[in-house]
Amino acid sequence: MSALLCIKQLLWKVNGKTILNNIDLSVNKGEVVGIIGPNGAGKTSLLRCILNQQKEFSGTINFKGKDINHYSAKQLAQHFAVVAQKATPIFALSVFDVVSMGLLPHKTLFSFNNSQDLHQITLALEKVGLTNELHSQYNHLSGGEQQRVLIARALVQKAEILILDEPTNHLDVYYQHQILKLVKDLNITVIMTVHDLNLAAQYCQRLVLLNKGKIIADDITERVLNPEILTEVFRLPCQREQDPITNVARVYFHLANNITTSDNKQLNTSKDEQTAVISHE
Amino acid sequence: MSKFSVKIFLLTILCLASTFAALTIGPASISTQELISCLTGVCQNKVTEMVVWQVRLPRVLVGLVTGIGLACAGTILQNITRNPLADPYLFGIVSGAALGATIANITVANQLTIALPLAAFVGALTSVTLVVIIAKALKSMEQLLLTGIAVSFMFSSISQFLLYLGDPFATNRVIFWLMGSLARVEMSNFYVISTILIIALVIIVALHRQIDALLLGDESAASLGVNVDKLRLLMLALCAALTATIVAYCGGIGFVGLMVPHIVRQVIGVTTLPLIIGSALIGGSFLLWVDVIARSALESAEIPLGIITSAFGSLFFLLIMYRTRNN
Repeated sequence: MSALLCIKQLLWKVNGKTILNNIDLSVNKGEVVGIIGPNGAGKTSLLRCILNQQKEFSGTINFKGKDINHYSAKQLAQHFAVVAQKATPIFALSVFDVVSMGLLPHKTLFSFNNSQDLHQITLALEKVGLTNELHSQYNHLSGGEQQRVLIARALVQKAEILILDEPTNHLDVYYQHQILKLVKDLNITVIMTVHDLNLAAQYCQRLVLLNKGKIIADDITERVLNPEILTEVFRLPCQREQDPITNVARVYFHLANNITTSDNKQLNTSKDEQTAVISHE
Repeated sequence: MSKFSVKIFLLTILCLASTFAALTIGPASISTQELISCLTGVCQNKVTEMVVWQVRLPRVLVGLVTGIGLACAGTILQNITRNPLADPYLFGIVSGAALGATIANITVANQLTIALPLAAFVGALTSVTLVVIIAKALKSMEQLLLTGIAVSFMFSSISQFLLYLGDPFATNRVIFWLMGSLARVEMSNFYVISTILIIALVIIVALHRQIDALLLGDESAASLGVNVDKLRLLMLALCAALTATIVAYCGGIGFVGLMVPHIVRQVIGVTTLPLIIGSALIGGSFLLWVDVIARSALESAEIPLGIITSAFGSLFFLLIMYRTRNN
């Protein structure tokens, strides 16, 4: 089966600094792929390259076997829908206004909403559970509801790949799970960057671990959440266990003295820090 | 009939009624019946015919399209910059026009009738072009407004320096022109302004979805296939051409572009299509009534339009700040 999205030898440098280093990545139809890694690993940069918002890279990115440079911005928007971390409009946009923006890539000049468009918007809001909020003001919704509105907009966009950049960043635990479950249940191809490794483990079929612009691991969740690899990438000792309820891998990080990574670098932490334990959920 | 249709219907009635009322109100009293018979070509009184066709109608029609044009330009500028305080006059348009008018006053004062609007138009466009070039050089189209303010001050200082060195009569002429007035407009001005207005409105309606996409941020719009920089430049050029034409014929009429879109957002909606229709209807009606006040408030003289709009505008500005603080 040929991949829906195929990235080969992607290299992006800015002022001599390597942002992305020889990235090879394929995404198949229907996969939910999580991109994980520490801050500055190149997660969002990779998404920007996929969306052709960043053009100064070498290597190739093919969508359905065709170079993305050969797609117009409008065509790309018909295939890729983006849900950003947070959108804060200045003016009082309604939920309807925001969701109907998703129709744009399929519309011509002078086009107005017709009954089919309205039906599509209603269906999308039904899918994200916000039917009753059609005329509510977007700014008045909670963070989780706003993300669901943006997902509804992506559904109206009828794209084949849904791209999410840290979709749960500003949300509490309840909304984090609600949003990611919703995304998983959509049954479309998803590529998302996620900070929380345990959330990624629970909702992604496959994880791509990035560090310093390089892919360190690209495999099913169980194999990527390897304590040894994670210790090295996040520079903190990592432990792993199986969640007794979901039976999914869970990882914990602890601040500790004198950690030695595989390249023999010493990671020293203070005594105070030793008492702190960082859990990823 | 939807709520939106009812509101637009009522605003259309308001605009038509304002136009009709503005034609009847003035130093020469004209009854509704006289006006209707003159407009339908069976005017019985020669003086009334002259007042209606040569004085009132050009003035009211130019006032109408000026109000529509300024309100629409403000609407688009606020939406493309996502800045509720954006106004055509904050992009250096008036200071550019003033510099053009000052140079015309100093150099070709004898042929001022043609030279002043032409020089003002060139000055306004030069100013906006400079604003865009600087914003592009800074690689920050989001700072258009700040660049506009800087260019405004720069052009104003040059104008003031030229006026300081020049003839005191020229200073008076420029200052009076900058206050804005519909007293000297002709029917030909209406044709020019309405042609540019129609072109601008057609382009805005064609691209209304793209302009809406900007409301959620540049990245969001780009992900929907919008070429953000090109769209913003095109809209800015349209607003500049429209405002420069209006300023060239009517002088400086500030704050219409700032106030009207805010009122329409409260009443009708925030997306481009309803906003532009509402702004056109309210903007047109508003300026007609401002002009009625301008020509009938004092018995001996007309009050310049800019004085009245600025008085309303400054109070409105404070109201926006108060509401923003409370929200």
